[in-house]
Amino acid sequence: MKRRDFLWLLGVISGSTVMSACGSPNRSAKFTSFVLPPEEEAVPGEARFLPSTCTECPAGCGVQARIRDGRPVKLEGNPGHPVNDRGLCVRGQSALYRLYHPERVRGPMVRDGGKHRPIPWEEAFSRVAVSLKSSREKGRKNLFLSGRTTGSLSRLADAACKRLGIERLPEYEVYSHTAVKEANALLFGERDVPHYRIEKADFLLTVGADLIETHITPVAYARKISSARAGGAFLWYHVEPHMSLTGGNADRRFTVAPGRERLLLSFLLREVAARKAGKSRLPDELIAVFPRTTAEKVSAETGIPREAVKEIADRFLAAERPLLIAGGVGTEQPSGLETAAAAALIQHASGAIPERVDFAAGENYRNVGTLRDMEKLSARLGRGEAGVVFLFRTNPVFSLPPRLAFRENLKKAELTVGVGEFLDETVREADVVLPLSHSLESWGDVEPRSGVVSLLQPALPPLHDTRSDGDVLLGFLGYSSGKGPDGSYRDLLSAAWGRWLGEAGKARLLEKGYVEETLPKRTVSVDGKRAAKVLRAAGPPEELGKPVLVLAPSIRTFDGRSRNLSLLSEIPDPLTTITYGSWISVSGETAARAGFRDQDGATVASADWKAVMPVKVQPGLPDGVFAIHRDALSSPPVRTDRRTGGAVAYIEGVGIAKTGKRIGIPILSGSFSQQGRGLIPDPVHLSEERRHKRWTLYPEHDHKEYRWALAVDLERCNGCAACVAACHVENNVPAAGPADHLKGREMSWLRIEPFYGKGEVEFLPMLCQQCHYAPCESVCPVFAAYHNPEGLNVQVYNRCVGTRYCSNNCPYKVRRFNWWEHRWTKPADLMLNPDVQARGVGVMEKCTFCVQRIRAAKDKARDEGRKVRDGEFTTACAQSCPTGALTFGNLLDEGSAVSRLARSGRAYRVFESLGTEPSVYYLRGGKP
Amino acid sequence: MKKTIVAIAAAGYFGLSVLAVAGLWFLWYRTGPAPAQPIAFPHTVHAGQLRLPCTHCHAFAGKSRSAGAPPLETCMGCHKTIAVEREEIRKLTRHYEEKRPVRWVRVYALPDFVYFSHKRHVKAGVECAMCHGDVAGMKRIRRVNELVMGWCVSCHAVRGASRDCATCHK
Repeated sequence: MKRRDFLWLLGVISGSTVMSACGSPNRSAKFTSFVLPPEEEAVPGEARFLPSTCTECPAGCGVQARIRDGRPVKLEGNPGHPVNDRGLCVRGQSALYRLYHPERVRGPMVRDGGKHRPIPWEEAFSRVAVSLKSSREKGRKNLFLSGRTTGSLSRLADAACKRLGIERLPEYEVYSHTAVKEANALLFGERDVPHYRIEKADFLLTVGADLIETHITPVAYARKISSARAGGAFLWYHVEPHMSLTGGNADRRFTVAPGRERLLLSFLLREVAARKAGKSRLPDELIAVFPRTTAEKVSAETGIPREAVKEIADRFLAAERPLLIAGGVGTEQPSGLETAAAAALIQHASGAIPERVDFAAGENYRNVGTLRDMEKLSARLGRGEAGVVFLFRTNPVFSLPPRLAFRENLKKAELTVGVGEFLDETVREADVVLPLSHSLESWGDVEPRSGVVSLLQPALPPLHDTRSDGDVLLGFLGYSSGKGPDGSYRDLLSAAWGRWLGEAGKARLLEKGYVEETLPKRTVSVDGKRAAKVLRAAGPPEELGKPVLVLAPSIRTFDGRSRNLSLLSEIPDPLTTITYGSWISVSGETAARAGFRDQDGATVASADWKAVMPVKVQPGLPDGVFAIHRDALSSPPVRTDRRTGGAVAYIEGVGIAKTGKRIGIPILSGSFSQQGRGLIPDPVHLSEERRHKRWTLYPEHDHKEYRWALAVDLERCNGCAACVAACHVENNVPAAGPADHLKGREMSWLRIEPFYGKGEVEFLPMLCQQCHYAPCESVCPVFAAYHNPEGLNVQVYNRCVGTRYCSNNCPYKVRRFNWWEHRWTKPADLMLNPDVQARGVGVMEKCTFCVQRIRAAKDKARDEGRKVRDGEFTTACAQSCPTGALTFGNLLDEGSAVSRLARSGRAYRVFESLGTEPSVYYLRGGKP
Repeated sequence: MKKTIVAIAAAGYFGLSVLAVAGLWFLWYRTGPAPAQPIAFPHTVHAGQLRLPCTHCHAFAGKSRSAGAPPLETCMGCHKTIAVEREEIRKLTRHYEEKRPVRWVRVYALPDFVYFSHKRHVKAGVECAMCHGDVAGMKRIRRVNELVMGWCVSCHAVRGASRDCATCHK
């Protein structure tokens, strides 16, 4: 190259570089004048709350969507809601990740060859209408399969199916509670799961029912247990074949041999029936069905120690208001019917019905079918009987066992219509894909239990070309008659609510988001002869083939339906602190025998099934029992219970062998033992004495008006991780991903540490302790970490240069470093809370005590010329806690709840001896 | 001698031009450009001649953290009848009738990490002109202050407002 050309090129390049760097970044920022003024209650830049309902699981918890700039940025439990009252679980908090999920189906599609191609709604509906007609003419049956639906949607589906000559199949849910419903139907003529009023009990015995993970309405149960504990003498015993979060939270937990629960309950039933009160309520011929047994025999067959069997029975009989709940894996087994029937009879004999076991407020599982129903459906599909098959908000291809060949048989239908939010395993198979709006984009209602109606209302217009459940059904109706839909679902609902709830009820529903009706109590009577006959005819139950693999419900993904929400993979499983990936839990004994260590690869196989996955040694798990989360297996090889038709939650005759390879899965906890450091001390001591005298060059901190503090009640905390999810969503905490987790680089500001003792587990939520003498502050070279006048250790993000000195000096390991620029794929960026900055690469971050909420509360107080009142606002974690374990407030206000708790004899602080004087007080021992 | 004079003159000439460029840059940096807006809205007429109070249009200045741009309905309140024949008003009417929001070019923008509330400042008695200058005299709006931290803090110090970092840093 010539010298001149070189200079010429250099000039052009440097000139254009300079030119391109010119200009103000603000120039691109816009400032919009909308056409019409905002609605009356909406003020731009300020948040407002809209009541709606969470649809992540069938529980139907009430939520309030926090709306900023026309889009929901956070969900909070709706205070006063009859289901959840304020709290919201980890899945509910993650619902926004579903709404803003980049992989949602963005418009209707039709299968064209092997692929789906987009088509307009009208065309999709017309295709369905044409197929409906043609298959009717050919004498084929049109079928409608959905997940559990309630309220107006269920009625509309019924009406639509009737009008269009479609057969509505029993609804499909993985957790169908079949045995409990069958037993209640057999004994009391009530084919439903009753509402358990735990708050009215003084002794709770649960058999298998995973109250805290997924059982019917987990947030409500967690809340009820917490209030029962706070209310007075309350004791909770849990019997289960494996180790669950629910078991870890019971006052005492007993391990039962899988499938032998019925023996314990038979014994208990006979004990209760021997009492006068019990005897009068139970027909003799029915009791005779249950074998006479002794504590010794029960102990020998169930593996529960004899004293424990006696203690359970004694406690139950001594209690004034005992309550027994059987369910979950305790009844999803071959003797589930006996177990559930014995439990129902004990409830009846101990006088728990109708006070504590409320059939009037049944949980609306009546229309949910069984696995046998699905077998029948698959067989019908296989015979080519089906015309159009609607698959509406359900994913049977994922959860049904492979022997049903559901996926293959589905192809023999004339047309399959998949209606859902994602191209999941089932919708992917459909010929016509109709995308549903998220519940936060739709009008609707749910009836989580009889007497409770909860509102669904849009918090934003649909992000994509989707329609609400009701509008899709109306579309089927309209296009089949050839006229197009007759009004919207919203109009239909408005009229329906008026008729159903009355005008006053409708107004209340729209204002508060829920309506609760008090229903007359329903007593039950037992038809002893008939029930005894049926139970006898059922024959002896089968035994489970050992060793067994328990398919345990997962608190993070329910039955697997929340698998694709990235936040739920980012948040550790409470018992194991595993984040990404699936694993098999083995007992300590098994591990010792076979030489297993955490993350060792293992081949797990039964007669007709095989999988390779890493091992996690689970303390508390009995020998001979393996456990895996339900969501970890697609198409698990479960069998159908011969008598109830329900699914058996076990894989039997499982063998496990080392593969010799290590499969890395992130286990975030560094230690499951407290290493004798007294993180959860016993007894509690808030000692004022220090090991050495304080000597400092820094001036003392002066707190004038506020000193923020948090109290964490460890007696209430059940480790459910709802707070962790709430914190993620509120504070724009990014997901670090599996690769970073394997390096120990997590991002969550709040973690829950499980510590295992002798057979029990305790949870310690760990977050920035906002120390009074904070080790992080003094080492920051740029004054990014400093102490503010309100007692917060503030981190100024744009000042931070990323030396990470603060993190190294933090004894609590709560600071998080951004190793990457975390991206929020569109439209997930809409979820970002505008009140909190999304941190960039190279910046340290940590819990702020939700400083943005403090700021907002102070702003409001200042407008009204007062100080912030106690309880006026709270942090995201405390707001979401289903059990009310977290209390936030001003320590300087002597009357505030947090300062009362901090001064109570139950308070201590972690690593007191370091002299950091944290503002987070932990409470332990005594009544919460 | 002559050489020295030439040298001084040359140094003076180049020095001055450097100074002039620096001065221009500083002025531009402090105040920013006055961008053309999609509709040439004259603050001189509305705030100047007509003496409309700022909150007549920026209605949320005293109620919310963001002052807000007026909805087009506010404009049309008068401009359904006033000056309808002017080109700019026709533009406005078209926006209104076609239900198309107007996207103004932002003149005052704060970085993402700053929390700023118009309401707090208005309620504390800070005049709009303290930060936004003599808007009534500007044909096109120009930023008159550089919106850097030192500028904020200097006023906070004088007025005794909070100087805790967490007051403004998100």
